[in-house]
Amino acid sequence: MHRLNVILLKEWRESLRNKMILFGAIFLPLFMVGAAVVMVYQGRGIDVPGAQIALFNTALMYFLILPAVIPLAIAAYSIIGEKEQGSLEPLLATPISDLELFLGKALASVIPALILTWGSFGLFLGLSIPLVGGIPPHVLTPPWIAAIFGLAPLLSLFSVGVTMLVSSRASDARAAYQVSSLAILPGIVPLIIYSSKKTLVSLFLVGLEGAVLIVASIIVLYFAIKVFRREQILTRWK
Amino acid sequence: MSNIAICAKNLTRDFDTVRAVDSLSLEIPQGIVFGFLGPNGAGKTTTIRMLAALIAPSSGEATVAGLHLGRENRAIRQHVGVLTETPGLYKRLSAIDNLLFFAKLYGVPEPRKQAERYLQLFELWDRRDDLAGSFSKGMRQKLAIARAMLHEPQILFLDEPTASLDPEAAKVVRDLIETLRTKERTIFLCTHNLDEADRLCDRVALFNTRLVAIGPPQELKERLYGRRTVIHLADPHPGLEDALKLSFIKKIERLDNTLVVSLSDPERENPILVSRLVELGAKVQFVNELRVSLEDLYLDLMEENNAST
Repeated sequence: MHRLNVILLKEWRESLRNKMILFGAIFLPLFMVGAAVVMVYQGRGIDVPGAQIALFNTALMYFLILPAVIPLAIAAYSIIGEKEQGSLEPLLATPISDLELFLGKALASVIPALILTWGSFGLFLGLSIPLVGGIPPHVLTPPWIAAIFGLAPLLSLFSVGVTMLVSSRASDARAAYQVSSLAILPGIVPLIIYSSKKTLVSLFLVGLEGAVLIVASIIVLYFAIKVFRREQILTRWK
Repeated sequence: MSNIAICAKNLTRDFDTVRAVDSLSLEIPQGIVFGFLGPNGAGKTTTIRMLAALIAPSSGEATVAGLHLGRENRAIRQHVGVLTETPGLYKRLSAIDNLLFFAKLYGVPEPRKQAERYLQLFELWDRRDDLAGSFSKGMRQKLAIARAMLHEPQILFLDEPTASLDPEAAKVVRDLIETLRTKERTIFLCTHNLDEADRLCDRVALFNTRLVAIGPPQELKERLYGRRTVIHLADPHPGLEDALKLSFIKKIERLDNTLVVSLSDPERENPILVSRLVELGAKVQFVNELRVSLEDLYLDLMEENNAST
């Protein structure tokens, strides 16, 4: 636990000095909040059946993309940065266990992603209330809360797992970031379903996506942990 | 505790179909500087990685700091320090933050105090808050050695510590290695720089996938070349070699005015030899011991090894 904390603090200290990560971590959530608030505000007067639902579903998607996108940059730069600096071997020469190192790297990406996602969601609510004169309808409902607080961690974990797998084979952080961006797909798929059906976000759909994500995350994390062994890192990683 | 720092028996490592290290057996006593010499691709880094419990051997066994490789890997990593081929510092962190990070990972009781101690020792204290990325190559290497030393390891593995450094920085690092030598600490030094190995190492191993030779540098040289005395004469004095007739002379070679005489006990035999030469009318100008460099030894043994394989 002690070594895990040491890794986490080091990762965050390094991330705070990386302009690319910092820019992504600040700009993207603010952009999403702004876009969601504008959408909700503009949707106030629309009287077309299903239109408001579609707008809110889109807003929710923004907050489901964030937990998948934010960890991408942190995890990609964290692993590829170590490769570029040649710092993995000295790190592996310490008594840290493979699992501590993996968890340290993974949580260093997941924790900020969740804080920023939930913080952005809070900001969205805070800004929406004065603009639409109260908590927007369809937002603080059980499916929304389940999506924001249940799906977001799963999306982050899945995203980190994919990034770690991709980063183990890549030597360029940008390339790894681009390939790993496919991990945001699970955050977008529900939107396509919701929008096409113009249906309200339902617990069933959130539960279904959650179940799919749990299975996908387990598979991805299993392989990520497998490639994150000392032996593998030193002899197989590019 | 045993006074053997590292004991390896038939340590072997394969990468798919390639054998990187083949049946390496050696014993390294505690408190010495041990030079591990070999060409590129000889398996030196793989050997360090195995002994530092970073990768597993394909077969064979070893004890490192009295701990069993494979069974006590975490404890081994706690007792050894590794300087990798590249310094591998976190460039976005300051010098002191780099050291504090590793000190905490190693569980050093007072990390800040220890980091300060090594920064002072390596004359980096004034630059402690500067980013490691802004350091010169020599300073990075010093910081990397400090990092490997923070937890006071019993065994320090140094993989090419002076490679890619300019002569001045290389000298600083070499001097540093001298200061790290203690009774309790064993230094395992991988280097291409044979002059460096000759100066620093108490024992060397010549290695090329397999162990070619092992021993103290002087002993190895004597084993291969014997001990030779070089005598410079004022004039050629033809036929002198045949006239000497001393039973202890093993071999005698001539190059113009110079005689190279192979002896087994030069301390005892040189005075007799010089007296005999003077007796025979030779005008002796200089008498020296022929010093063979580790480089000569290395090149000859490696050539012999390549020819035999």
